[in-house]
Amino acid sequence: MASANQENDRPQNIRAIMTFLREHAPFSSMDDSHLAHFAENASIQFYADGDVVLSPDHDVVKRFYVVKQGRIRGERHNDKEDRTETTFEISQGECFPLAAMIGERPTRTLHRASGDTFCLSIGQTAFVNLFSESEPFRDFCLRGVSSLLDQVNRRIQSSAMASMGSSTSLDTPLERYALRNPIVCSPDLPVRKAVARMHENNVGSIIITDENRIPTGIFTLRDLRTMIAEGTGPLDTPIQQVMTKNPCCLPSHADAFEAAMLMAEHHFAHLCVIDDDHKLIGVVSERDLFSLQRVDLVNLARTIGTATHLRTLVSLRTDVSRLVDAMLAHGADSGQVVKIITTLNDVTVRRVLELNIKKNDPGIPFTWLTFGSEGRQEQTLLTDQDNGILFQTPEGMTEEQVREKLLPFARKVNDELAECGFTLCKGNIMASNPKLCLSDKEWDDWFIRFIDASTPQNLVYSSIFLDMRAIYGPTEPLDALLDKVLTRIRKNALFQKMLAGNAFQRKPPLTMFRNFRYISEGNKHSLDLKRQGLAPFVEAVRVFALANGVETANTLERMDELAKKGVFDPKDANAWKEGYSLIQAIRMRAHQEMLARGEELTNYIDPDDLNPLDRRILRESFRQAQRLQQKLEVTYQL
Amino acid sequence: MLEQIKQWIEHRRGGKIGSHDPGNLPNPKTPGEQLLTDCRLIVLDLETTGLNAAKDEVIAIGAVAIRGGVIHLGDQFDLILRRPELDIRETVLIHGIGPEALTQGHEIEDALLYLLEWMNGDPILAYHSAFDQKFLEKTLKAQLGYSQPHTWMDVADLMPAFFPNTKTGGKGLDNWADYFGLEVGERHHAASDALATAELTLIALNKARAEGVKTLKGLYDKLHYHRRLQNMHRY
Repeated sequence: MASANQENDRPQNIRAIMTFLREHAPFSSMDDSHLAHFAENASIQFYADGDVVLSPDHDVVKRFYVVKQGRIRGERHNDKEDRTETTFEISQGECFPLAAMIGERPTRTLHRASGDTFCLSIGQTAFVNLFSESEPFRDFCLRGVSSLLDQVNRRIQSSAMASMGSSTSLDTPLERYALRNPIVCSPDLPVRKAVARMHENNVGSIIITDENRIPTGIFTLRDLRTMIAEGTGPLDTPIQQVMTKNPCCLPSHADAFEAAMLMAEHHFAHLCVIDDDHKLIGVVSERDLFSLQRVDLVNLARTIGTATHLRTLVSLRTDVSRLVDAMLAHGADSGQVVKIITTLNDVTVRRVLELNIKKNDPGIPFTWLTFGSEGRQEQTLLTDQDNGILFQTPEGMTEEQVREKLLPFARKVNDELAECGFTLCKGNIMASNPKLCLSDKEWDDWFIRFIDASTPQNLVYSSIFLDMRAIYGPTEPLDALLDKVLTRIRKNALFQKMLAGNAFQRKPPLTMFRNFRYISEGNKHSLDLKRQGLAPFVEAVRVFALANGVETANTLERMDELAKKGVFDPKDANAWKEGYSLIQAIRMRAHQEMLARGEELTNYIDPDDLNPLDRRILRESFRQAQRLQQKLEVTYQL
Repeated sequence: MLEQIKQWIEHRRGGKIGSHDPGNLPNPKTPGEQLLTDCRLIVLDLETTGLNAAKDEVIAIGAVAIRGGVIHLGDQFDLILRRPELDIRETVLIHGIGPEALTQGHEIEDALLYLLEWMNGDPILAYHSAFDQKFLEKTLKAQLGYSQPHTWMDVADLMPAFFPNTKTGGKGLDNWADYFGLEVGERHHAASDALATAELTLIALNKARAEGVKTLKGLYDKLHYHRRLQNMHRY
């Protein structure tokens, strides 16, 4: 009641300004009294189209602005090309200039009205008051748009919690799970007694520990079933003879996501949680992780990994999509989800390979390589095949002879993967292509030509072949090859510069007169989130990663490594990771919506369909891509 | 009640309030060589019980001040007058001020004295200013015996004077507000309408500067020239 009276006591125009502010972050999370302070101290200015609002030639910035109506664009002069570029656009409800205001310096960018524009502004005194009194405001001023990203994540998670009534997220450390007191036994206990103990405690697994409580094995109901079905031994067999040795263990500070990934990879349903001395402190089961969330990742991975027919694999693809849906709904971040998709895709590819080897073994060991997004572990549901084969030529055979055996096998695998939903690669980047089924020596020669005699055309392939990973067969040959490739690139400044120049071509879709630059062909008002949004990050990061000997292919991990090596400023790296992840998240959400509507998957979205906060953050993400490219520009003097 | 007004005024002016001296009110200023980039302008809107100045009364006054081409929200006037005896049944639907709000309004004499002080004799702009001028002058005379003429300028003339041949689809405040895409807080609330009018004034002042009109007199002359032109066209 008191606050309602207060509200009525405020003059109408103050209330109207407060209502306006409330619709925009960070004001939306600020207290009314702080909003009133803002409004009572605000001025309204008008700028006609083209008027200068702030200029580097002006004095130290003394006012803090919010666009009330219209748009402000930031201009920077490109000395090299002697033209003016728009570096950012600020639209209704957004604030400027943050850095200059806090740094008490003149702005570094010319701010100009784009169209007729009204701004609200407050002076330094009011700004300082709000800064010291309002936490959301201070947070926003210091962290800028990153603080808004937190809001988006919170919103996604809170809606997931609301719908599932669960407060656990995949970031929760294992120690926070209600770890069941593990049922343990010594290695010499007969199976019968161990099973009786499991029965008494109503659990599905028992951990076998040594005298120091260090887990040495695990025995589950599944193992019992196999034992009886296959008649492996009598029930008084000591359990150590039938247990699974060296059970999967994770320290208690590992999070649920790690646990889920480990389970999915090895198809285990139980993990031991251990302390720093490797002593058992608990057991986490798949059910513990996902019971509330109904996300059956591990079971799905196991079903894929043990499928006996291609058609089973094909039918399981719809489950993958359903799983992704559930993960997204539970606020898993996009980095986690792409890894899960990649893991499940890896399992599928491996199973297709295994089934084919069982049917028709080519008789020659090989390493199955994946390139591009799968190589980077960044696959979404919309994915095509980019693969190849690396083999070591057995003695007495020529490389051509090996290929004669491997190529028909690879062709069959490529076709079957296509049936599973991995579209055949239009550019024929596939293992069945004789040019991509090569011996270690041939691959090495191939990379020497690629790096030392690079032409603009073959640079197109850099996004494919410089992000590779082994997913089947021995990994050592690939490690050796990668080692040579990385050394060669590190030493070749010209190649780096060409790569940088290539990466610089992909401009994030921000532009002068519109908030977004839409693609010119195809649908009007659509943005290609992959080519226009993600690619600028991926390509620029790759250049820095290769130039600095970073071995991983995953874009987020590359950025982490680059920050660790001091190539990226940690704050920049974080902002870029956030920007990249956000575009990825919006892309995946769009894919799920397309699936739900039964449409064909594309990477196009219409920004008009996004809510204002998402739209603003998408634009900010593109701005971050632009900053990353500026770093590229400066580093390689493009 | 008086105590409340004092507090209210203090709140707004940040201190000092003496008793009003009706004999020592600020003198209206005439448009001279004051620079538009320096001077203070009042943008005002009244809500009344009806359209007939002879029998209808003012019930709400909303005003904002423009200083140096900028609206300062800390420098505004938003008041419902205490006129419980008025019959407002006819207009209550338009402006939304019910009898209850009116009885909670401020003692009219004090409010008017404060208004005069707050206006400080600065030129007054309003949309269709003849209406507001008639009502305000009548009220000031009746309540305070005050009859000094302020300088009035009509924003309804100001806009076409600086934006001739603009297709707004009409001459009303709404037409110009829509044309420039203004978001009006709450139409027919004196303060909201005053703010919308003030925003239009900012647009006109920006154009004036671009056209080299620098002084208050220059603005005033431009307005009169426009008026004469309009009148000539009429005949």
